[in-house]
Amino acid sequence: MPEKEYQRLTRARSRSVFGAVAVSRSSLWLGKDHLLCIDSSGYTETYKRFYFRDIQVITLVATKRRAVWNGVLVVPIVLCLAGLANALFSLPEATNPAIITWTILTVIFLAPLLINNLMGPACTGYLRTAVQIEELPSLSRLPRARKALERIRPSIVGVQGALSPDEISARIRAAATGSGAASSPPAANMPGGPPAVS
Amino acid sequence: MTTLIQCPACQAWLLEGVFNRPELSPCPACGVPLQVEVFPALFRRSHPGQSGETILVEGESSCFYHPQKKAVLPCEGCGRFLCALCDCELNGQHFCPACLETGITKGKIKSLENQRTLYDGIALSLAIYPLLIFYFTLVTAPVALFVAIRYWNAPRSIVHRTKVRYVAAIVLASMQIAGWGLLFISLAGRHRP
Repeated sequence: MPEKEYQRLTRARSRSVFGAVAVSRSSLWLGKDHLLCIDSSGYTETYKRFYFRDIQVITLVATKRRAVWNGVLVVPIVLCLAGLANALFSLPEATNPAIITWTILTVIFLAPLLINNLMGPACTGYLRTAVQIEELPSLSRLPRARKALERIRPSIVGVQGALSPDEISARIRAAATGSGAASSPPAANMPGGPPAVS
Repeated sequence: MTTLIQCPACQAWLLEGVFNRPELSPCPACGVPLQVEVFPALFRRSHPGQSGETILVEGESSCFYHPQKKAVLPCEGCGRFLCALCDCELNGQHFCPACLETGITKGKIKSLENQRTLYDGIALSLAIYPLLIFYFTLVTAPVALFVAIRYWNAPRSIVHRTKVRYVAAIVLASMQIAGWGLLFISLAGRHRP
Protein backbone atom coordinates (compact mmCIF):
# COMPACT_ATOMS: atom_id res chain seq x y z
CA MET A 1 0.00 0.00 0.00
CA PRO A 2 1.50 3.41 -0.97
CA GLU A 3 2.40 5.80 1.81
CA LYS A 4 -0.19 8.49 2.39
CA GLU A 5 0.87 11.93 1.23
CA TYR A 6 -0.92 13.68 4.07
CA GLN A 7 -1.64 12.63 7.63
CA ARG A 8 -4.62 14.11 9.42
CA LEU A 9 -3.73 16.34 12.35
CA THR A 10 -7.15 17.65 13.26
CA ARG A 11 -10.71 16.98 12.25
CA ALA A 12 -12.59 19.63 10.32
CA ARG A 13 -13.75 22.51 12.46
CA SER A 14 -15.89 25.46 11.58
CA ARG A 15 -14.31 28.85 11.01
CA SER A 16 -17.18 30.59 12.79
CA VAL A 17 -18.39 30.43 16.39
CA PHE A 18 -21.67 28.85 15.31
CA GLY A 19 -19.99 25.73 14.04
CA ALA A 20 -23.11 23.62 13.67
CA VAL A 21 -24.65 25.90 11.06
CA ALA A 22 -21.46 27.08 9.37
CA VAL A 23 -20.75 25.86 5.86
CA SER A 24 -16.98 26.33 5.67
CA ARG A 25 -14.90 23.93 7.73
CA SER A 26 -11.18 23.89 8.26
CA SER A 27 -8.84 20.97 8.91
CA LEU A 28 -5.11 20.58 9.30
CA TRP A 29 -2.93 17.96 7.61
CA LEU A 30 0.71 17.07 7.93
CA GLY A 31 2.62 16.75 4.66
CA LYS A 32 6.20 15.75 3.92
CA ASP A 33 7.57 19.28 3.98
CA HIS A 34 4.57 21.43 4.84
CA LEU A 35 1.39 21.84 6.83
CA LEU A 36 -1.77 21.85 4.76
CA CYS A 37 -4.79 23.82 5.94
CA ILE A 38 -7.93 22.80 4.04
CA ASP A 39 -11.01 25.00 4.05
CA SER A 40 -13.88 22.96 2.70
CA SER A 41 -17.42 23.95 1.86
CA GLY A 42 -18.35 20.38 0.97
CA TYR A 43 -18.28 21.22 -2.74
CA THR A 44 -14.95 23.02 -3.02
CA GLU A 45 -11.72 22.85 -1.10
CA THR A 46 -9.23 25.67 -0.67
CA TYR A 47 -5.68 24.81 0.27
CA LYS A 48 -3.10 26.79 2.19
CA ARG A 49 0.39 25.39 2.54
CA PHE A 50 2.76 26.40 5.29
CA TYR A 51 6.24 25.05 4.60
CA PHE A 52 8.17 23.93 7.66
CA ARG A 53 11.12 26.14 6.72
CA ASP A 54 8.86 29.24 6.78
CA ILE A 55 6.97 28.73 10.05
CA GLN A 56 8.20 31.24 12.60
CA VAL A 57 5.76 31.03 15.50
CA ILE A 58 2.77 28.91 16.50
CA THR A 59 0.67 30.44 19.25
CA LEU A 60 -2.15 28.87 21.24
CA VAL A 61 -4.29 31.29 23.19
CA ALA A 62 -6.76 30.02 25.78
CA THR A 63 -10.25 31.39 25.26
CA LYS A 64 -13.47 31.37 27.28
CA ARG A 65 -15.49 29.66 24.55
CA ARG A 66 -16.08 26.51 26.60
CA ALA A 67 -17.35 28.53 29.59
CA VAL A 68 -19.59 30.60 27.33
CA TRP A 69 -21.15 27.52 25.74
CA ASN A 70 -21.57 25.95 29.19
CA GLY A 71 -23.43 29.08 30.28
CA VAL A 72 -25.61 29.02 27.17
CA LEU A 73 -26.47 25.32 27.56
CA VAL A 74 -27.01 25.27 31.32
CA VAL A 75 -30.04 27.59 31.15
CA PRO A 76 -32.25 25.29 28.99
CA ILE A 77 -31.00 22.25 30.92
CA VAL A 78 -32.12 23.78 34.21
CA LEU A 79 -35.48 24.66 32.66
CA CYS A 80 -35.89 21.13 31.27
CA LEU A 81 -34.90 19.56 34.59
CA ALA A 82 -37.43 21.80 36.33
CA GLY A 83 -40.07 20.66 33.86
CA LEU A 84 -39.07 17.05 34.40
CA ALA A 85 -39.20 17.42 38.18
CA ASN A 86 -42.57 19.10 37.84
CA ALA A 87 -43.85 16.24 35.71
CA LEU A 88 -42.47 13.64 38.11
CA PHE A 89 -43.40 15.06 41.50
CA SER A 90 -45.71 18.05 41.39
CA LEU A 91 -48.31 16.57 39.13
CA PRO A 92 -49.21 13.07 40.26
CA GLU A 93 -51.59 12.83 37.37
CA ALA A 94 -48.81 13.60 34.89
CA THR A 95 -48.73 11.19 32.07
CA ASN A 96 -45.78 9.33 30.68
CA PRO A 97 -45.61 11.51 27.53
CA ALA A 98 -44.82 14.58 29.63
CA ILE A 99 -42.00 12.78 31.42
CA ILE A 100 -40.66 11.38 28.14
CA THR A 101 -40.82 14.79 26.45
CA TRP A 102 -38.93 16.55 29.26
CA THR A 103 -36.36 13.73 29.40
CA ILE A 104 -35.73 13.95 25.66
CA LEU A 105 -35.39 17.74 25.83
CA THR A 106 -32.94 17.43 28.74
CA VAL A 107 -30.84 14.91 26.83
CA ILE A 108 -30.86 17.12 23.73
CA PHE A 109 -29.24 19.95 25.69
CA LEU A 110 -27.16 17.73 27.97
CA ALA A 111 -25.34 15.95 25.13
CA PRO A 112 -23.67 19.09 23.71
CA LEU A 113 -22.82 20.20 27.25
CA LEU A 114 -21.04 16.90 27.88
CA ILE A 115 -19.26 17.01 24.52
CA ASN A 116 -18.23 20.63 25.14
CA ASN A 117 -16.61 19.64 28.44
CA LEU A 118 -15.12 16.36 27.26
CA MET A 119 -13.29 18.15 24.43
CA GLY A 120 -11.33 20.16 26.98
CA PRO A 121 -10.52 23.85 27.32
CA ALA A 122 -11.00 26.02 24.25
CA CYS A 123 -8.22 27.87 22.51
CA THR A 124 -7.37 29.66 19.29
CA GLY A 125 -4.34 28.73 17.24
CA TYR A 126 -2.27 31.13 15.18
CA LEU A 127 0.56 30.41 12.80
CA ARG A 128 3.03 33.09 11.82
CA THR A 129 5.35 33.19 8.84
CA ALA A 130 7.45 36.07 7.52
CA VAL A 131 4.49 37.52 5.63
CA GLN A 132 1.30 36.48 7.41
CA ILE A 133 -0.41 35.58 10.66
CA GLU A 134 -2.98 32.89 9.95
CA GLU A 135 -5.64 31.71 12.34
CA LEU A 136 -5.98 27.92 12.43
CA PRO A 137 -9.62 27.26 13.33
CA SER A 138 -9.08 23.53 13.66
CA LEU A 139 -6.82 24.11 16.67
CA SER A 140 -9.84 25.06 18.73
CA ARG A 141 -9.41 22.81 21.75
CA LEU A 142 -6.28 22.71 23.85
CA PRO A 143 -5.76 18.93 24.14
CA ARG A 144 -6.17 18.43 20.41
CA ALA A 145 -4.05 21.49 19.59
CA ARG A 146 -1.26 20.25 21.83
CA LYS A 147 -1.42 16.81 20.27
CA ALA A 148 -1.15 18.40 16.81
CA LEU A 149 1.71 20.62 17.98
CA GLU A 150 3.59 17.58 19.29
CA ARG A 151 3.40 16.09 15.79
CA ILE A 152 4.29 19.30 13.97
CA ARG A 153 7.22 20.33 16.16
CA PRO A 154 9.67 17.53 15.19
CA SER A 155 9.11 18.24 11.49
CA ILE A 156 9.83 21.95 11.91
CA VAL A 157 12.79 21.34 14.22
CA GLY A 158 14.10 18.81 11.71
CA VAL A 159 14.19 21.51 9.05
CA GLN A 160 15.06 24.62 11.09
CA GLY A 161 16.79 23.29 14.20
CA ALA A 162 15.81 24.05 17.80
CA LEU A 163 16.17 27.03 20.10
CA SER A 164 16.14 26.99 23.89
CA PRO A 165 13.62 29.25 25.69
CA ASP A 166 16.46 31.36 27.15
CA GLU A 167 18.06 31.82 23.75
CA ILE A 168 14.75 32.94 22.27
CA SER A 169 14.13 35.40 25.09
CA ALA A 170 17.64 36.83 24.72
CA ARG A 171 17.29 37.29 20.95
CA ILE A 172 13.82 38.81 21.23
CA ARG A 173 15.01 41.14 24.00
CA ALA A 174 17.88 42.19 21.77
CA ALA A 175 15.47 42.86 18.91
CA ALA A 176 13.12 44.75 21.25
CA THR A 177 15.96 46.89 22.58
CA GLY A 178 16.99 47.64 19.04
CA SER A 179 13.52 48.79 18.02
CA GLY A 180 12.63 50.40 21.36
CA ALA A 181 9.74 48.04 22.04
CA ALA A 182 10.76 47.34 25.61
CA SER A 183 9.93 50.86 26.66
CA SER A 184 6.62 51.15 24.77
CA PRO A 185 4.69 47.87 24.70
CA PRO A 186 1.42 48.93 23.00
CA ALA A 187 1.64 47.70 19.44
CA ALA A 188 -0.73 50.30 18.06
CA ASN A 189 1.80 53.04 18.82
CA MET A 190 4.69 51.10 17.41
CA PRO A 191 5.83 52.12 13.94
CA GLY A 192 6.83 49.12 11.92
CA GLY A 193 5.27 46.71 14.38
CA PRO A 194 3.56 43.56 13.17
CA PRO A 195 -0.11 43.86 12.21
CA ALA A 196 -2.65 43.18 14.90
CA VAL A 197 -4.18 39.72 15.05
CA SER A 198 -7.93 40.00 14.85
CA MET B 1 7.30 41.85 10.07
CA THR B 2 9.69 42.26 12.97
CA THR B 3 11.22 39.55 15.11
CA LEU B 4 8.97 40.67 17.96
CA ILE B 5 5.89 38.72 18.98
CA GLN B 6 2.62 40.14 20.21
CA CYS B 7 0.04 38.63 22.52
CA PRO B 8 -2.92 37.88 20.20
CA ALA B 9 -5.34 38.93 22.95
CA CYS B 10 -3.96 42.31 24.10
CA GLN B 11 -1.37 43.05 21.38
CA ALA B 12 1.34 43.65 23.99
CA TRP B 13 4.87 42.67 23.10
CA LEU B 14 5.96 39.36 24.53
CA LEU B 15 9.56 39.59 25.62
CA GLU B 16 10.28 36.58 27.81
CA GLY B 17 8.89 33.85 30.03
CA VAL B 18 6.31 32.48 27.59
CA PHE B 19 8.38 31.02 24.75
CA ASN B 20 8.59 27.28 24.10
CA ARG B 21 7.17 26.34 27.49
CA PRO B 22 5.48 22.95 27.75
CA GLU B 23 2.46 24.47 29.52
CA LEU B 24 0.35 27.58 29.07
CA SER B 25 1.95 30.68 30.54
CA PRO B 26 0.07 33.90 31.33
CA CYS B 27 0.67 36.91 29.13
CA PRO B 28 2.66 39.39 31.26
CA ALA B 29 0.32 42.21 30.22
CA CYS B 30 -3.21 40.78 30.19
CA GLY B 31 -2.80 37.44 31.96
CA VAL B 32 -4.43 35.40 29.21
CA PRO B 33 -2.89 31.90 29.20
CA LEU B 34 -0.93 31.24 26.04
CA GLN B 35 1.62 28.87 24.60
CA VAL B 36 4.10 30.34 22.15
CA GLU B 37 6.27 28.03 20.07
CA VAL B 38 9.07 29.98 18.45
CA PHE B 39 11.23 28.53 15.68
CA PRO B 40 14.58 29.73 14.30
CA ALA B 41 12.93 31.06 11.11
CA LEU B 42 11.80 34.06 13.18
CA PHE B 43 15.40 35.26 13.43
CA ARG B 44 16.39 34.43 9.89
CA ARG B 45 17.38 37.39 7.78
CA SER B 46 15.57 37.59 4.47
CA HIS B 47 17.85 37.46 1.46
CA PRO B 48 17.79 40.45 -0.87
CA GLY B 49 16.27 39.68 -4.28
CA GLN B 50 18.64 38.86 -7.11
CA SER B 51 18.66 41.10 -10.14
CA GLY B 52 20.59 38.96 -12.64
CA GLU B 53 24.14 39.39 -13.83
CA THR B 54 24.76 41.50 -16.92
CA ILE B 55 26.53 39.82 -19.85
CA LEU B 56 30.07 41.08 -20.17
CA VAL B 57 31.56 38.62 -22.67
CA GLU B 58 29.97 38.36 -26.10
CA GLY B 59 28.57 34.93 -26.95
CA GLU B 60 27.58 34.05 -23.38
CA SER B 61 24.19 32.40 -22.94
CA SER B 62 21.56 34.99 -22.18
CA CYS B 63 18.19 34.91 -20.46
CA PHE B 64 15.21 34.31 -22.77
CA TYR B 65 13.27 37.17 -21.17
CA HIS B 66 16.24 39.52 -20.59
CA PRO B 67 18.74 39.20 -23.46
CA GLN B 68 21.21 41.51 -21.70
CA LYS B 69 21.30 39.28 -18.58
CA LYS B 70 23.44 36.18 -18.14
CA ALA B 71 21.57 32.83 -18.10
CA VAL B 72 22.16 30.83 -14.94
CA LEU B 73 19.94 27.78 -15.49
CA PRO B 74 17.22 26.40 -17.77
CA CYS B 75 13.50 26.32 -16.88
CA GLU B 76 12.46 22.78 -15.93
CA GLY B 77 9.12 23.31 -17.60
CA CYS B 78 10.02 24.68 -21.03
CA GLY B 79 13.82 24.57 -21.13
CA ARG B 80 14.28 28.29 -21.75
CA PHE B 81 17.40 29.87 -20.33
CA LEU B 82 16.76 32.03 -17.31
CA CYS B 83 18.68 34.72 -15.46
CA ALA B 84 18.67 34.94 -11.66
CA LEU B 85 15.81 37.42 -11.83
CA CYS B 86 13.51 35.10 -13.79
CA ASP B 87 14.39 31.96 -11.85
CA CYS B 88 11.39 30.95 -9.69
CA GLU B 89 12.38 28.15 -7.35
CA LEU B 90 9.68 25.85 -6.10
CA ASN B 91 10.54 22.87 -3.90
CA GLY B 92 13.95 22.50 -5.52
CA GLN B 93 12.62 22.90 -9.07
CA HIS B 94 13.30 25.96 -11.19
CA PHE B 95 10.64 27.46 -13.45
CA CYS B 96 10.23 30.57 -15.54
CA PRO B 97 7.33 32.91 -14.63
CA ALA B 98 5.33 31.75 -17.66
CA CYS B 99 5.56 28.05 -16.72
CA LEU B 100 4.70 28.90 -13.14
CA GLU B 101 1.61 30.77 -14.31
CA THR B 102 0.62 27.85 -16.56
CA GLY B 103 1.21 25.47 -13.68
CA ILE B 104 -1.17 27.46 -11.49
CA THR B 105 -3.92 27.94 -14.05
CA LYS B 106 -3.86 24.41 -15.45
CA GLY B 107 -3.13 22.70 -12.12
CA LYS B 108 -0.01 21.04 -13.53
CA ILE B 109 2.12 21.82 -10.48
CA LYS B 110 0.41 20.11 -7.57
CA SER B 111 2.12 22.14 -4.89
CA LEU B 112 0.67 25.34 -6.39
CA GLU B 113 -2.86 24.01 -6.58
CA ASN B 114 -4.96 25.96 -4.11
CA GLN B 115 -8.52 24.93 -4.96
CA ARG B 116 -10.43 21.89 -6.10
CA THR B 117 -14.06 21.26 -6.86
CA LEU B 118 -15.42 18.16 -5.15
CA TYR B 119 -17.67 16.68 -7.82
CA ASP B 120 -18.28 13.58 -5.71
CA GLY B 121 -19.76 15.77 -2.98
CA ILE B 122 -21.89 17.62 -5.52
CA ALA B 123 -23.19 14.35 -7.03
CA LEU B 124 -24.02 12.91 -3.62
CA SER B 125 -25.78 16.09 -2.51
CA LEU B 126 -27.83 16.08 -5.69
CA ALA B 127 -28.83 12.51 -4.94
CA ILE B 128 -29.68 13.00 -1.24
CA TYR B 129 -30.99 16.50 -0.44
CA PRO B 130 -33.80 16.59 -3.05
CA LEU B 131 -35.28 13.50 -1.35
CA LEU B 132 -36.74 15.92 1.21
CA ILE B 133 -39.09 17.13 -1.52
CA PHE B 134 -39.33 14.01 -3.64
CA TYR B 135 -40.69 15.69 -6.77
CA PHE B 136 -37.35 17.46 -7.29
CA THR B 137 -35.65 14.10 -7.81
CA LEU B 138 -37.30 13.87 -11.21
CA VAL B 139 -34.78 16.49 -12.33
CA THR B 140 -31.93 16.09 -9.84
CA ALA B 141 -31.51 12.29 -10.08
CA PRO B 142 -30.46 12.36 -13.77
CA VAL B 143 -28.24 15.36 -13.04
CA ALA B 144 -26.60 13.51 -10.12
CA LEU B 145 -26.05 10.49 -12.34
CA PHE B 146 -24.55 12.67 -15.08
CA VAL B 147 -22.20 14.46 -12.66
CA ALA B 148 -21.06 11.17 -11.11
CA ILE B 149 -20.30 9.56 -14.48
CA ARG B 150 -18.92 12.68 -16.19
CA TYR B 151 -16.48 13.47 -13.37
CA TRP B 152 -15.69 9.88 -12.32
CA ASN B 153 -12.00 10.40 -13.13
CA ALA B 154 -11.77 14.05 -12.08
CA PRO B 155 -9.34 14.79 -9.23
CA ARG B 156 -11.02 14.40 -5.87
CA SER B 157 -9.88 15.93 -2.59
CA ILE B 158 -6.12 16.41 -2.30
CA VAL B 159 -6.23 14.27 0.83
CA HIS B 160 -7.45 10.72 0.46
CA ARG B 161 -10.96 10.29 -0.70
CA THR B 162 -12.34 7.14 -2.18
CA LYS B 163 -14.97 6.91 -4.91
CA VAL B 164 -17.58 5.78 -2.41
CA ARG B 165 -19.50 9.07 -2.79
CA TYR B 166 -19.70 8.61 -6.54
CA VAL B 167 -20.91 5.02 -6.06
CA ALA B 168 -23.49 6.10 -3.47
CA ALA B 169 -24.67 8.92 -5.75
CA ILE B 170 -25.00 6.56 -8.73
CA VAL B 171 -26.90 3.95 -6.69
CA LEU B 172 -29.27 6.50 -5.13
CA ALA B 173 -29.86 8.37 -8.39
CA SER B 174 -30.46 5.10 -10.25
CA MET B 175 -33.00 4.02 -7.63
CA GLN B 176 -34.79 7.36 -7.91
CA ILE B 177 -34.86 7.15 -11.71
CA ALA B 178 -36.10 3.56 -11.48
CA GLY B 179 -38.79 4.68 -9.02
CA TRP B 180 -39.97 7.40 -11.38
CA GLY B 181 -39.88 4.94 -14.26
CA LEU B 182 -42.06 2.45 -12.38
CA LEU B 183 -44.46 5.23 -11.41
CA PHE B 184 -44.85 6.39 -15.01
CA ILE B 185 -45.29 2.79 -16.23
CA SER B 186 -48.01 2.11 -13.63
CA LEU B 187 -49.74 5.42 -14.49
CA ALA B 188 -49.61 4.59 -18.17
CA GLY B 189 -51.03 1.14 -17.44
CA ARG B 190 -53.90 2.63 -15.45
CA HIS B 191 -54.96 4.98 -18.26
CA ARG B 192 -54.80 2.26 -20.92
CA PRO B 193 -58.31 1.32 -22.12
